[in-house]
Amino acid sequence: MSVSKNKATNSLLRSEKQSLLRFFALYVAMVLLMIVVLSYYYYQTQEKLMLSNQRATLFKYGFIQAKRLKVLHHFFDERTKYPRDPRFTSAIYDVEKKAIFSLLEEKNVRFDKEIYMIHNHIHFLKSLDDFYLGTKYIIIEVKDDGVWRNIIWKNILGYGLFTFFLFMLFGLYLAKLFLKPMRDSIVLLDRFIKDTTHELNTPLSAILANIEMMDTDVMIEKNKTKLNRINIAAKTVSTLYKDLTYLTLEQEKENEDEHIDVKALIEDRVEYFTILAESKKLRYELELQPAMIFMDRRKFTRVIDNLISNAIKYNKRKGVVGFSLKQGELIIWDTGIGIKESKIPFIFDRYIRFNKSEGGFGVGLSIVKKIIDEYNMRIEVKSKEFEGTKMVLKW
Amino acid sequence: MVRKTLWVLLILNTLNAENVFERNCVTCHQELPATLQEMFKRYLLIYSSETNVKAGIKHYLRYPSKDISAMSDLFVDTYGIKEKTKLSPRELNEAVNIYWEKYKVFGKLK
Repeated sequence: MSVSKNKATNSLLRSEKQSLLRFFALYVAMVLLMIVVLSYYYYQTQEKLMLSNQRATLFKYGFIQAKRLKVLHHFFDERTKYPRDPRFTSAIYDVEKKAIFSLLEEKNVRFDKEIYMIHNHIHFLKSLDDFYLGTKYIIIEVKDDGVWRNIIWKNILGYGLFTFFLFMLFGLYLAKLFLKPMRDSIVLLDRFIKDTTHELNTPLSAILANIEMMDTDVMIEKNKTKLNRINIAAKTVSTLYKDLTYLTLEQEKENEDEHIDVKALIEDRVEYFTILAESKKLRYELELQPAMIFMDRRKFTRVIDNLISNAIKYNKRKGVVGFSLKQGELIIWDTGIGIKESKIPFIFDRYIRFNKSEGGFGVGLSIVKKIIDEYNMRIEVKSKEFEGTKMVLKW
Repeated sequence: MVRKTLWVLLILNTLNAENVFERNCVTCHQELPATLQEMFKRYLLIYSSETNVKAGIKHYLRYPSKDISAMSDLFVDTYGIKEKTKLSPRELNEAVNIYWEKYKVFGKLK
């Protein structure tokens, strides 16, 4: 029998989501780092290119200024006016790098580079062989118009964003590739469950119907006990069957919402599970006030059945299963093994079972979550390991 | 008699000069065609900084030689090399410092 991926399989599990998020966070960080490093080197290269374009002009200015200094040197100190030029500003330094005279706007000067950028100014350093007026270094300064920088930023943003989106697309493809094996195994399990479920229906119905029809009054005590055990086993299988049927076949059916008397429904389901509870010598504690809910009865029953079934299944012998109901809130609690705090966020994931000693497929709570999400209800899980679990359902 | 008086007045005037630089340098250099200002600029052209210029001048005054003179060969050949300084190191320092302060470029450009 072929089974296509259903809605449940298409939606990502929380653990899948977490793996995907971690992978993506790392991937995005790596891509961003790569883009930043490449942009940095691109910026550096472009800056060097711009400076080398400027170099010839600044060298010419340096030469002109040196010639003017030579003249001033000869006429000093009859003439003391430092030569100025509208195209550039300049400064002169002696061999000990002490400023003799400076018209620079940017006073921070470096002597280890011939040409460099500093705070939107370009400095060019010319070294003299004859120290006119004691000048060893002439600094030529021009203002940077910043046009080249705007072009570079535009390029970095444009190409950077394009590369980023390209890598994101590639990342999505990679993520799908990585998740495929995980998803395939889920599809396989779904298919197996769907196939098996069909085969369970007829024998299970026959067993349950025959147990109901049996006349226990004429039975001896030994046989009654055996029949009880058969009844418990059949009901356990029946709950599982209903879950699996819901998961594979029924969940896509149209909802038939109606006003449900929650108190009556709980009493009915408690009665249904009594035989299971008795097998573990469990005690019920019921505090039920009248409450109503408007939803599909079949779905609400699945929620209640799963919560009660878990409270019984994971309880200690001679423990307690408690119910507290008021309008808008239902609490089902037990005195069972509890759940580790770190594992609570994952209990609603499909095929997740924390206790391998109990049977099941780990689909019960995933069904519960799906239904309460569909009806915008809320569920809170409060659990302490080895003390018990409390499920609070609010609507 | 008049000549003698003039000589005495000249000597007294020299001795009363303001400082060691004027007493020991200006008097002799007044007779040369190159001014102290021009010579200073020659030192600047060669040595650039204050430390170097001062060191260069002191070295030349202690060990005068044509090879290390800041002046041109023509000037040296015409007017010769000066005599070795007889100033004490303290006086020499003081004279050179005054010379630097008098002719330095720092603070003079506008």
